Amino acid sequence: MKWISARYVARIAPFILSVFLTGCFGQEDINNLAMVMAVGIDEGKRPGTVLVTAQIARPSDAVGQTGAPVGGTGKPIWTAAAEGRSIFEAMRNLDRFSSRRVYWGHNKIIVLSAAVARHGVNDAIDFFTRNHELRMRTWVMVTPKSASEIVASKTGLQVIPGDSVDRLFHYSAYTSEAPPVDMRTFQATFLNPTSQAVLPRVDIVQRGMPATHKEEFGTSPQVELSRAAYFIGNHMVGWMTIPETRGALWFLGHETSREMVLHCPDSSGKWTTLEMRTSHFVITPHLLNGKVSFVIHLRADFDLVEADCPSVSSNLVLTHALEMEARIKLREELLSAIHLSQRTGSDFLRLGERVEDRYPAEWRTLRDHWPQTLSRAEFLIHVKSSIRSPVLLAVPTRPGSVSKEVIK
Amino acid sequence: MGKDVRVQITSGMFTALIVNLVYPKAIGLTQGIMERQAGGDFWLATIFAILQGGLVLLLTVWVVNRLPNRSLAEQADVVLGKWIGKVIHLSLFVFFVGAFGASAISFVYHLMDYFLPDIPIYVFVLAILVVTVYALFHGLEVISRMAIVGVFSILMLNILLLIGSLKDFDVSQLLPVLQSGFTHTLWVSRQHDTDWAVPVAITGLILPYVSKPKEWRSSALVGAFFGGVTVLMWPMLEAGVLSPQETGQYIVACMQMARSAEIGHFIHRYEMIMVAFFGISLLVQLMLCLFGASLSAAKLIGLKDYRPAIVPVALLVGIAAYLLVLDHNWAIIWLADWWPWLAVPVGFGLPILVGLLSLIRYKKIKQLAASGSVAQNA
Repeated sequence: MKWISARYVARIAPFILSVFLTGCFGQEDINNLAMVMAVGIDEGKRPGTVLVTAQIARPSDAVGQTGAPVGGTGKPIWTAAAEGRSIFEAMRNLDRFSSRRVYWGHNKIIVLSAAVARHGVNDAIDFFTRNHELRMRTWVMVTPKSASEIVASKTGLQVIPGDSVDRLFHYSAYTSEAPPVDMRTFQATFLNPTSQAVLPRVDIVQRGMPATHKEEFGTSPQVELSRAAYFIGNHMVGWMTIPETRGALWFLGHETSREMVLHCPDSSGKWTTLEMRTSHFVITPHLLNGKVSFVIHLRADFDLVEADCPSVSSNLVLTHALEMEARIKLREELLSAIHLSQRTGSDFLRLGERVEDRYPAEWRTLRDHWPQTLSRAEFLIHVKSSIRSPVLLAVPTRPGSVSKEVIK
Repeated sequence: MGKDVRVQITSGMFTALIVNLVYPKAIGLTQGIMERQAGGDFWLATIFAILQGGLVLLLTVWVVNRLPNRSLAEQADVVLGKWIGKVIHLSLFVFFVGAFGASAISFVYHLMDYFLPDIPIYVFVLAILVVTVYALFHGLEVISRMAIVGVFSILMLNILLLIGSLKDFDVSQLLPVLQSGFTHTLWVSRQHDTDWAVPVAITGLILPYVSKPKEWRSSALVGAFFGGVTVLMWPMLEAGVLSPQETGQYIVACMQMARSAEIGHFIHRYEMIMVAFFGISLLVQLMLCLFGASLSAAKLIGLKDYRPAIVPVALLVGIAAYLLVLDHNWAIIWLADWWPWLAVPVGFGLPILVGLLSLIRYKKIKQLAASGSVAQNA
């Protein structure tokens, strides 16, 4: 009987203690949160400080797809900046003048200025991966401008600019001019003892047309995602060109649905365009007498999506000539990325990892002087390209008069 | 503790208990520790430990099966004598207090670090104690039923993680293998052995309650296999998606994995759903650790029933868990450097020791088995 009372206590206790489990600790109403959608990291004005710029959504003015301004300000975002000796201090300094608690859980992009990236990204990676509020799928990028400028720009179709830049990455495979790198993959490459990191480059270009003054075409700044920055260890070393970036994307395993603009085979000086549909990239390292070489097999299948070649009478003639040209172009892009890596000693193509996977025992001696070994490595590149489909047209488009001449 | 005839665990419940007991700490905290010690071979170390754990589990079943009415500790009483039996009960008690602490670290760091950073640690510990004590007063059978729900939760959690992360899986991240050497990888597997020590020790205690002794071996085998597979998925994904280096960066590597998962472009940060599933198996583990500690304490001081020991033992393990969880750095050092020295010798050593000694004292075991069977028939 004496255990009956204990049993009753045990039954009642959960109800009493459940008071502690209702989420009252640290609760914050959504109305009191300042939702950060994009963050930029620049060097501060004082030496050794960082400037953090936060793009904060104003939900009442960002309602719906068009941003119907129920909040009355007409501005769906508020951008604020603060300095500090560390990123965390700078973020906390934002709270000095933000009327709401700054909340990072919905942040979509992190922009680093080139100056910060050249100085070292260790602190940024440590902070953003240590913080439980931030998402690991947040896109990370570098800009040659100031990061605050990118963060403060009203860009794209979305009401919130951070959303627009986020979507640039989702659809980056269509241009294949920049690697989509989120914090998870950036951290993984950064921690890798062999490989070096790459980050996409964003810039501001005058491409947009203002809604009110339509005659001022190209005066509204837009964020452009193109090219990439490459690193050695903690520091950014330089920028890649577009062909170098496109070449590097094959090694980094990013899918592509890019276009390829080539000369018409009829020497008319006009252009024809291919769209990549499928591709297959295989790289195999070889080691012989301490000398490293790589054999690359690349196969790309295209559709012919546009041809302005009036004197070419058949798709077949066109595709035969273009396949060869596409092969040459793909090969050039691969080589440009390889040469950049060899020249700078930055293994952003993750070639060392491939050697390590295939020759783990030999790698122990190779790794100590890998940049030198990489600079001497040979590459045998096999590229195959095929144009499988002219899409809807059975014959290229030409003026009727020209067609009749050919038929005669 | 004599065999309580009212308590009856089915073979399926026993299998579910094994899965729940091995899973929670193994997928996150253990993987982070093993990566820091074995580098990219941490997933191989997991395989080694699964094989070792499965073998010891089967050995435990074999040993208990010789006297199916007595738990492993009770057999030690018979084979080794009363005082050495007391030492074994004491070591089991210390083991279960440690196992409770290890599970509490897992519970608190999952919930506090990733979801509820403002809640004081004592609230988590109180919540654990209230739930586990409450469950224990309801008895082993209720906990075992909950373990079946726990298996379902584990399945859901694994499926959700697979869906959200398989597209980022890069098999080359699992290579190269055995870079830290075969013996070193084997040595590092002791970290996951600590996770297997818990189901082994609990099996030694509860097996007499499990119905149909003929099915014990197959149930244990299924439990070990299923537990092994559900655990092994995590280091494979952690290596292939996060990379080994990133896995080693984190205290709770599985949460890093969970918060990196994304289904399409629209469903992300669903780790809250995953952790809800995870919590069930973790609570089952905590309940059984408290059960093991209470039972060992009751045997140590000569109580017939373990229930009077539940509250005092809960207070003791609660204080120990609180002190352990209070400092992250200390908790990780304790888990990585100290806990294996207690968990593996007790968890794996006890069935091996009792098994060897029962071979030496074969006649007495046979005699007892015969008298037990006579009593049963009567």
